[in-house]
Order: sequence, then structure tokens, then C-alpha cells
Amino acid sequence: MTMTKTTIAAPTVSPRRPTRRRRRPARTAGAYLLLITLAMLFAGPFVWLVLAALKTKAEWVAIPAKILPETPRWENFTQALTEINFPAYLGNSLFLSFLFAILVTFSSAAVGFGFARLRGRGKRPLFVLLLSTMMLPQILTLIPTYVMFARAGLVNTYWPWVVWGLAASPFLVFMFRQFFAAIPAELEDAAIIDGCGYGRIFLQIFLPLSRPVLLTSFVLSFTWTWGDYIAPALFLDPDQTTLSVAISAFYLDPHGNPDATVQAAAAALYVMPVLAIFLFAQRYFIRGVVSSGLKG
Amino acid sequence: MAAIAPERVRRGRRGWKRYPSRTFYLFVSPWVLGFALLTALPLGYAFAVSLTNFNGVSERWRWVGLRNYVELMSDTAAIDSLVRTLAFTAIAVPLTVIGGLALAVLLNQRLKAVGLFRTIFFLPSVVPVVAMAIMWKLIFNRDAGILNTILEKISVGPIAWLVDPYAFYALIILTLWGLGGGMVITLAALQGVPAELEEAALVDGANRWHVFRHITVPMISPVLLFQVVTGIIAALQIIIQPLLLAQTNQVGRVAEVPESTHLYMVQVYQEFFANNRYGYGSAMLWVFFLVILAITLLVQRTSRLWVHYTVDSEADR
Repeated sequence: MTMTKTTIAAPTVSPRRPTRRRRRPARTAGAYLLLITLAMLFAGPFVWLVLAALKTKAEWVAIPAKILPETPRWENFTQALTEINFPAYLGNSLFLSFLFAILVTFSSAAVGFGFARLRGRGKRPLFVLLLSTMMLPQILTLIPTYVMFARAGLVNTYWPWVVWGLAASPFLVFMFRQFFAAIPAELEDAAIIDGCGYGRIFLQIFLPLSRPVLLTSFVLSFTWTWGDYIAPALFLDPDQTTLSVAISAFYLDPHGNPDATVQAAAAALYVMPVLAIFLFAQRYFIRGVVSSGLKG
Repeated sequence: MAAIAPERVRRGRRGWKRYPSRTFYLFVSPWVLGFALLTALPLGYAFAVSLTNFNGVSERWRWVGLRNYVELMSDTAAIDSLVRTLAFTAIAVPLTVIGGLALAVLLNQRLKAVGLFRTIFFLPSVVPVVAMAIMWKLIFNRDAGILNTILEKISVGPIAWLVDPYAFYALIILTLWGLGGGMVITLAALQGVPAELEEAALVDGANRWHVFRHITVPMISPVLLFQVVTGIIAALQIIIQPLLLAQTNQVGRVAEVPESTHLYMVQVYQEFFANNRYGYGSAMLWVFFLVILAITLLVQRTSRLWVHYTVDSEADR
């Protein structure tokens, strides 16, 4: 079978290909050269971070600068884990990221379902309001929120993250709405005839259908909290804070100067999960962002 | 008594049930409450505080009317930081959007390993800001950084990248590194442009640039507008990068942020947390809110001149 297929296919394909190839080898080579150069520029900071994380202090400050360490100094990584209470900050980061991601994914899915499938007075203006809050810089409300929470005694607790999680994210709401709006109506009509309420329709029909969107939402909101700096810096004391604040400021040598090589090792450990998650979930993630970006 | 109670319950339930929107309101209530408590209330609170001389601690504050706003109008440090922020936005946003478009066009060809290149260009945009600052400080380091090491080879420098006036360019470079996020969106839009349209124009004798300029770009212009708008918002509110790039390890010490990256939000942060002027800082926030609103409206208005919506996408909504 395969043999006959190729022999049949060959005459139709072969006259086309050479002409195409002949026309643009220089163009293709130029494109690759440009792509490789740009790729080196974009990947460079990652490479330099790892190289710095493997240097001794003397190698890091050497003049002229050394590109490669003589022998990779893996001790920088163990030092990064022990010089500060890395496990505790990691625990705080993981806890807050999971907490926020689970809450915000569920609340945003519910709100997105409401906007996609339910009728209500004032739905349109509410939706316009939701879209316009996406355009509101969060920093504008964050500082007054901090002042209010500080006066309410909620600073240095994890309650702000619970509240933020329950409040849904306009961006994720929009993503869920786009997904739910595309699901055929027959599905819920049948469920309604069977006497199923909207709560059960949402939980038992729509949520299981939206697994890729749920995953995208979880990944996005998890990495927001994991990477967030300003909220933990404002709302949490140094001993309660997250890894992002800890690695930015807590690595100091005995003279109080930044400990560059150990900090580099810590930063490498800190970005790795984010890169791994995105490499793993890239397909879903890009689809989710693109679908909301295209229609926005 | 006993006769009244059930009737009341029934009437109450009927009233609630009669209202057709109740399920809708139940479902959207998390966001509505969240908006009220975490957006509207803080903004209102900030406005109230902006009319006081509150210092964040003392209960002995008083109303000062619009005095904070009047002071802001002649505060050269604040105005300079605003102008700097607008300049940064005007430079960084077009560079990011056009750079992302260029990369997307480059990747939208029949080449091998396109997926690999796309991943490499995209990944920087998901790096958390703290890691980004640490990585770029290692690159911009005056003596040990790779950038000056390379520049030295062509007899340039050494340049002190993290102090004036170069810190501004360092911040632009750091921002450009993250343009992969927009690139992915643009690339998806490019792949949605019907090939027949471009091919028909080529057959009709248009050259590649004309096709790109008059067919491809208009077709993806809504996506570009989306990036311009979100890019402007993101650029205007930049605060962490200047704080972390500054040659200090203590975020509280805002004073060490070089002048060229002392953006508006850095100034606001300084008024709040270094000078304890909560009232004045709140006034600065409100002025910024209005400035951002005006800019967003301006962009939306002028976008009618260059953004092209197909009938399809209108029907889609």
C-alpha cells in the first residue's frame, strides 16, 4: 500500500518542489540566520543567569570578565537553599499560588457561565464594565486597597489572596465566557427539560467540558501569584513573604552587598517551575490567550 | 400567627422567583461584589483620602479640600516623572508591537523548527518580574556583565547601564525582551488571514510589501489595537522594574532609583511609603487614573482611522 502511494504521489509532487526550492534558497538561509541570531538574543539572559549561578565569587568579579566558570560551582545552589529559609518562602509561594489559582479559576468560571448562558437585566452594561476594568491598571487600586486592609488589620495575613480569588478576574471571566458561549444550547435545553437547575448544569455539564480552559486559567493565575512582587511586598512581613520578595532582597554577603552568584542560583530555581509549566501547557495557554486577545 | 407565616414565605419566594434575572445575578455576584469592594471602594476611598492630609498612621488628619491637587499642578518632580512615563510609553509600546509583528511575520513562513523559535521568543514574556530584574542586572553589570564584555570587544564602554542616563535604555531593552507575548497573538492572527486574499492580490500584480501593508495589516489590525491598548496600560503602570533594577537591594529606598527611570508610579510609591503623604499620593493616583482614561479614549477614537473590522467579527459578538 505505502509503496503504491508513494509512486503515485511522486509525479505530482516532484515537478513543483524543485522550482520552489530553486527560487528561494538565499531567502531561506537569510531567514534562518536572522532567526538564529534573534534566538540567541532572547535565550542569552537565561544562559548568562545559569553561567553566573555556576561561578565562584572571584570568577564573577574577575576583570576582564570570564564567560565560562572554570569548574561549575554547584554549591551556589545548595547555598541558595540554606542561606535564607528558602523552603519556608517556597511553601508560602506555593500555598498562595494554589489558593488563589483554585479560587479565582472557580469564581471566574461561574461568572463567565453567567455572562455566556444566562439572561439578566443589565447584563450588557455589566459586561462592558467588566471589559473596561480589564483596562484599569491594578496598581491604581492596589495601594488604596493596601491602606484599607492595613486599617482593617488584614495586612500580614493571607486573607487578601482569598478575597482576590473569590472576586474573579475579568480577564479569566472573559476567557471562560468566550468558551461557554460557543457550546451548543441543546445540551442545557435537554438538562432543563430533565429538571436540572443551572447550578447543576454548570457543575456537571459545563465545567467537565471546559477542562482545557480550566487548565489555562489555573496555569495563568498560578504563575501570576508565583511571579507577583508588589502585593507580597506590600501586604506581607519579611518572614511571611513569598519567594519572589525573598530572592529579590535577602541574599546578602557579610558586608550587606548583594550576593550575586547565589542570588542567580536562587533566581534560576525560582523561574524553572514557571518555564516548565509553560513549556508543558504552551499549546493550551496560547490558545486561551489568543482566543481572548483576538476578540478583545 | 400560624396562618400568616406560610403565606409570607410563599409570597417571598414567589417574589424572588418572579424575578427572571436572579440566577444570572447569583452567578455573576462574585465579580460584582469584587468590583464593588476591590475596585470601586478603593478608588472612592483614595479620592476621599486625597482630600485630606492623612499620613497613614496618625488619626489627627483633617480635610484640606483640593489643596493636594493644587500642589500637584506645580510639583515639578511629579510632572517630570509623568512626562518621563509618557515618553517611555511612547517609545516602548510601538517598539514592542512592531517588533512582535516583525517576529510573527518571520515565523509565519514555511520553515523548519518554527515551533522551537516561537518557544524561545515566547518564554521571556512569562518570566516573573523579579527574576527578569535579577537576570538583566547580571547582564547590565558594569564590570562583570556580558553586555559590556561584548561591547569592549568593539572598543565601546564600559557603560554604567544601571545609572543615568543609560538606565532608561536598560529599562526599554528589558521591556522589549518580553515582546513574545504579543508576538504569539499576532502570529495566530496572521495565520487567520485567508491565503487566497493575499494570493489573489499577488496575481493581480501587487508586490509583497503592498500586500502586507494593504491586506495583511488591516486584517490583523484589531489584534494590533488590542496590543497597543494593553501595552500602554502596562507601560504606564511600570513600577517594580525601576525599583529592582536600581543599585539597591532595599525596595523601601526609592531615592536610589536613577532619575531617568523614576517613573510616575515610583514617585507615587515614594510619596506614600517614603514620605508618608497618603493624601498627596492618593491625589497623584487619581490624576493618573484620569490621564489613563483620557489616553485610552484617545487611542480608541483614533483607532477608527487605522483599525479595520471585518463584518464577520462583528457578527461574532
